[in-house]
Amino acid sequence: MKTIELLFILLAGALTFVSCEKDDPEIPNEEELITTVKYTLTPQSDGSEVVFLFRDLDGDGGNSPVITAGSLRSGIIYSGTLELLNEAETPVEDITEEIENEGDAHQFFFISNANISVQYNDTDLNGKPVGLKTVLTTGNAGTGKFKIILRHQPDKNASGVANGDITNAGGETDIEVEFDVVIQ
Amino acid sequence: MKLSLMLSFNKYFFLFFFIFAFSVFSEAQPCSIALTGRVTDESTGVALQFATVYIETEERGAVTDSAGFFSLENLCPGKYWIKVSHVGCKPKRIQLFLNSDKQVVFSLNHFSAFLNEVVVHGKNGDNTTQTSTTIASNEIQKKSNENIADILESIQGVSTLRNGTGISKPIIHGLFGNRVTILNNGITQSGQQWGNDHAPEIDPFIADHLAVIKGASALQYSGSSLGGVVLADTREIDDDPMLKGNVNYIFQSNGRGNTLNTQFERGDKWALWRVTGTLKLFGDAKAPDYFLTNTGKKEANMAVQLEKKLNQKWNTELYYSLFETEIGILRGSQVSNLTDLEEAMQREVPFFTKPCFSYQIESPSQRVTHHLLKMKAKYQPEEKTFFDFTYGGQINNRREYDVRRGKRSDIPALSLSQNSQFLQASLYRQISSGATLKTGFSGNYTDNTNNPETGVLPLIPDYLSSQAAGYVIFQNKAGKLFYEFGGRYDFEKINVWAISRTLPRTVEKHQHTFNDMSFSAGSRYPFSDLISMNVNIGYTSRSPEINELYSFGLHQGVSGIEEGDPNLSAEKSVKLVVNTDWKIPPKVNFQVLGYYQQINDFIYLQPQQEFRLTVRDAFPVYIYQQADSRVYGADFLFSYEPFYRMRITTKYAFVNGWNLDENIPLVNIPAPNILGTLAFFSREFIKLKDSEISLSGKYVFRQNNLLPEQDFMPPPDGYFLLSMEASTKKELAKSILKFSVFANNLLNVSYRDYLNRLRYFADEPGIGINFGVNYSF
Repeated sequence: MKTIELLFILLAGALTFVSCEKDDPEIPNEEELITTVKYTLTPQSDGSEVVFLFRDLDGDGGNSPVITAGSLRSGIIYSGTLELLNEAETPVEDITEEIENEGDAHQFFFISNANISVQYNDTDLNGKPVGLKTVLTTGNAGTGKFKIILRHQPDKNASGVANGDITNAGGETDIEVEFDVVIQ
Repeated sequence: MKLSLMLSFNKYFFLFFFIFAFSVFSEAQPCSIALTGRVTDESTGVALQFATVYIETEERGAVTDSAGFFSLENLCPGKYWIKVSHVGCKPKRIQLFLNSDKQVVFSLNHFSAFLNEVVVHGKNGDNTTQTSTTIASNEIQKKSNENIADILESIQGVSTLRNGTGISKPIIHGLFGNRVTILNNGITQSGQQWGNDHAPEIDPFIADHLAVIKGASALQYSGSSLGGVVLADTREIDDDPMLKGNVNYIFQSNGRGNTLNTQFERGDKWALWRVTGTLKLFGDAKAPDYFLTNTGKKEANMAVQLEKKLNQKWNTELYYSLFETEIGILRGSQVSNLTDLEEAMQREVPFFTKPCFSYQIESPSQRVTHHLLKMKAKYQPEEKTFFDFTYGGQINNRREYDVRRGKRSDIPALSLSQNSQFLQASLYRQISSGATLKTGFSGNYTDNTNNPETGVLPLIPDYLSSQAAGYVIFQNKAGKLFYEFGGRYDFEKINVWAISRTLPRTVEKHQHTFNDMSFSAGSRYPFSDLISMNVNIGYTSRSPEINELYSFGLHQGVSGIEEGDPNLSAEKSVKLVVNTDWKIPPKVNFQVLGYYQQINDFIYLQPQQEFRLTVRDAFPVYIYQQADSRVYGADFLFSYEPFYRMRITTKYAFVNGWNLDENIPLVNIPAPNILGTLAFFSREFIKLKDSEISLSGKYVFRQNNLLPEQDFMPPPDGYFLLSMEASTKKELAKSILKFSVFANNLLNVSYRDYLNRLRYFADEPGIGINFGVNYSF
């Protein structure tokens, strides 16, 4: 019976020696994160730049994003440029390049119920639009919503997609941000 | 060279011959032993006429008379393998040691005449008041291409939670995940059990039998099994010097899947050993109208089992198993936000569906590796006492891949490594002729780490968990009444290293301790040989798991942000199970099991009013909350043999889950389902043995017990599936060849199932025919 008692004691001992310490986790490098969407509109005639900005520095969850939008003038043609940043990294990472390089696997869509129309002004390897560069034309004064969507691996050959209709695009949403828009 | 080989061969041959001859002569004198006895039906005790009792090693046998008696004479002392068989019964192989005349009673299980039949009860003589249902090895062999959970689904009251065809986990009496304990060869399966899309890493072929304990609590195994316990057990290796092997191959037409299993075992002097291996390769499954793109699977498993009896008192066992899998997840089911989900739900054919079949697995996918090492020593100082010492070590690596931007699809979006160490010492002591005491204590240590390679903030944090537990169970048999009661205490300390959600990112440390108690009492009473009843009541408290306390982030599976609550307390459950068995010999067998479970502080994900805005639009927020809930239901099984060789079986199960505080239904509760099977059996048919053909119909009702706001989509309609199965056996000189054909969804019905996450995206697979060949010697 002695050996048994010894075994029991050993077992109990082994359990108490289990450590409760562990190295701190390594904080992952969130290089894929998009914290900032900046849509800069430059009037083709004279006038000042208008910026639509979405910024969520701590990513999903945490603090709420900050969304700002300048007001547009009616009846104006703007050149639009999209810029995507990861400002959680130091130095700030420019994701625009990544989208540009993978242009054939990405497409932006611009949806608004205000008097705005957006035309693509760039193409990927296959001559299909990407949407990093656009031409935005405003109509009559009014207010509404303006949504910018980025789809990953959309079907660019599906009906209407190359003209900016998202209906048949599919793919996964990488960005979907909405701004309040004012046309004066 | 050739000549010398011949010579040495001859030399050894003669040496062998002399040893053999000597041993025969030396034992040749007292060959006058008689083996006599009786063969009876295990369930009814009725004598079996024309049963064969065959001594394999002697190649002779006897047939029982009208009273079930047989006699075999002129046997030498020694060890014999005896095979007992009877029309419509599963043959039994028994090892006997003969020194003098011996009388024995062999009982055969007549109710499992149909080889595919799920055995209604646990092993004969199982000393428990718990209701358990067992699936035997030949049924597992025929379905070894399926996941363990899919095989368990044939048990009434057990359902399956799925994420496509490749990933499934068992639901017992409406509960799953953290609330169901899975014992892999006696060791609690450790891994990321909290995930709805994390399947248990067990190869069913390695198990000799699978059992589900539906009882109130299983104190010996775990304190957290509110729903039930799944046992995947291997068989003890026979002390048989003949090499035994089993090669099993299944081709399945849907998915063009190939499954190859092999198993070899022998009782050698140095140890008894068994080696098992499995390879699986499946391609895209096909729904009636389209291929389910990226639903292939690759799997490779192996296990080595060694048993060694050191002396009369010590028996040791060593077991190692490796499970490795890569599972594709339907390409069209990856959604990044609610808009994607809504669009996907409206599609007739899922996005990214390819027009052709492929074995290729791309993102989204899972790669999981699981190692299990078990060492067990049994010490039996005297006949009525034994000790068990068990060590179990497990390593689980899980990597989940998503379709990602910038060529990151090859970098896992979730990468977890878990290492767990388990030690247990148990004592079994027979106090008196009917009373037994079981007691033991155990420790478990789990280290869970997120690998930073993902570039994504982890959903669950790194943690260390240390657990200690002790249990006592007392069993007694007083006359016909068998009763037991027991208690268990669990202590857990959990240390958590979480990464903050706000900037700058820091590491936040937390510590929790939990104390859980469980109690169980039960009794079994046979009113007669034909009617028996068992009642079991148990109290269990389950401390919250890591995901319930600390998960934070986007859970792609639910298209929502999931938040744990560090202030959760333990769930407290009381479950009452009443089971009755009725036998009207020889034709009818009836089993009814009813259960009622009250779970206070039931932990569940509650959708919030709030939507959280992100760069991918707003997400619904789900927070882990607690509410008093209840679950009740019943399982029915009825079998009837209107004619000899024909049998009708019906199974029905329903379960109802309700959140009493919120007055809403519980989610992910299985819908009622009914299964009917008509089977024909033939003992011998043109030199084929144990041939069987059966037709089954299964109807799964619509889950109506759900509010529209509890899901993104209304529950799918009920569906009816027809399946057919045929199997036969050809006995060769020293081996057996078995053939089986199994057809699923014969009517090629397009349907969706409420318990499959893929219901939002695609139909279930259509018709599929499986062809199986099994060669054993």
